[in-house]
Amino acid sequence: MSLKEIWVVATGPTDLAKGARGLAEKVNAISFGASLAGADLTLVLPEAPEGALIEDYAQQIADLLAARGAKLVLFDADVRSRLLAGTVAARLGASPRNAVELGVADGVLSVGRMAYGGLAVALERIASPTAVLVVGPGTLPAVEDYPGAGEVEEVAAAIVPSGMRVLDIRPKAGETVNLASAKRVVGVGRGFAAEADLELARRLAAKIGAELACSRPIAEGVNWLPTERYIGVSGLTLRPDLYIAVGISGQIQHLVGVNKAKTLIAVNKDKNAPIFKQVDAGIVGDLYEVLPALIEAL
Amino acid sequence: MRIVACVKACPDTQDITAAPDRTLSFERAQFKVGTYDLNAIEAARALADETGGEAIGLSVGGSALASSKLRKDVLSRGLDAFNVICDDAYSELDSYQSAALLQDALGQLGGYDLVLCGAGSSDVYAQQVGNQLGALLGVPTLNNVHKVSVGSGKAVVERLLESVVQVIEVPLPAVLSLTSASNIPRIPSMKDILAAGKKPVNQLSASAAVPQARVEVKSVLAPEQQSRQLDVYDGDVGAAVAKLASYLKAL
Repeated sequence: MSLKEIWVVATGPTDLAKGARGLAEKVNAISFGASLAGADLTLVLPEAPEGALIEDYAQQIADLLAARGAKLVLFDADVRSRLLAGTVAARLGASPRNAVELGVADGVLSVGRMAYGGLAVALERIASPTAVLVVGPGTLPAVEDYPGAGEVEEVAAAIVPSGMRVLDIRPKAGETVNLASAKRVVGVGRGFAAEADLELARRLAAKIGAELACSRPIAEGVNWLPTERYIGVSGLTLRPDLYIAVGISGQIQHLVGVNKAKTLIAVNKDKNAPIFKQVDAGIVGDLYEVLPALIEAL
Repeated sequence: MRIVACVKACPDTQDITAAPDRTLSFERAQFKVGTYDLNAIEAARALADETGGEAIGLSVGGSALASSKLRKDVLSRGLDAFNVICDDAYSELDSYQSAALLQDALGQLGGYDLVLCGAGSSDVYAQQVGNQLGALLGVPTLNNVHKVSVGSGKAVVERLLESVVQVIEVPLPAVLSLTSASNIPRIPSMKDILAAGKKPVNQLSASAAVPQARVEVKSVLAPEQQSRQLDVYDGDVGAAVAKLASYLKAL
């Protein structure tokens, strides 16, 4: 038995309403400037004025949700949605959770979230009158065959000024990469002795049409690769067709980001590395020997 | 300027083990200050030094916070003082409860200019305590802040969104949650560790009833292992590479 109604708060275009459709009979949304695809009803707030943050709509969003009796509110996992989830939830007396699993049994919602850096999944029941959840990409498969009733209500609300002002918006330095949509990924870890040696991994990635990713120490220890390429519980979680871990021992905090890969392969010189307990195929060997030979053989 | 770094005592995940029945054992896991909280401490110290102010730590939680080893460890990383609300009843706080208790504690500290949090706690990682604390306090609140510079009565921060950087002027006081790459936390020297023993720890207690838990945990279990082929070649590299190459080509 599915839920009667779910609310979705969207800071931009998202499939979240289509995902929520799988759990509830009615999907309502709050969005900014335009209605949300897949929703039955969208309350449309104005876009934030120049220099203001949409997060400063938190009070109005909380008021709207309270006035409409929302019991379950979903947010995406992007930075702005996450902040809104927290500040809206504070006003509704809720503790937002990062949902990696969502289920409904007998009309009761069950939420799965990661615990202890990915070592475990905690199943929880939300005890507050309103549940606020941050839903990671891929958690709720989009239901495409029902477009939603598409009703729209414009809400004339003015931002409550927090005094914060956006002075500038700059593109991020360096490359932009969308690892979440990559079908094949080569991950590098501390087995690489020098930054220049990553060229070996780049060549392998180029050969098999893969994107390059890394474990946390490479992005936030030695800073050889940007944080956008870092996989782990506090970084990205991916579901690629193929993941090749090179010089990565396989700490749970990293593995949790790739253990949904269809095929997982590892190269590591330590035969006792935990990663070898999770692979489809692996080579125990020195990556400086294995990678050149592998690139040659492909 | 008074800068408050919020930290949480969490079991060291490296020493938590999962049994074959997927239950967890915490027997060997000691409580440590959260990995990402170290960024908040480091930033608090750096900003306090820049402004000639003070950097103080604040934590609410269970009896793990009573450990003098943990308290000294927190203080050895650059804080001038450490304030704690610790009670057995507070060992499993959710983010709303934590934020409410931190708000209570901040009220007892007699003013603050800036509250810093890490990217998330090492155990729950909801990434929400800072966001909720800021909302409860009714002050400007931001997450994913990568750089902070403070001037008189305001800060200018760089906040990382998915594809752009926002440069935002933030009136103080404010609550900011930092990215895990915003700084490299110091490793305490022997001198820091010795000095930590002489720094003050202030024990506070909640001045109002703590809100009821918003979340009821039903189970905590290690994820089910994906079934994998576990085809690991250990031997002649040439032969192993040839096998792997044909495996990859067949995908």
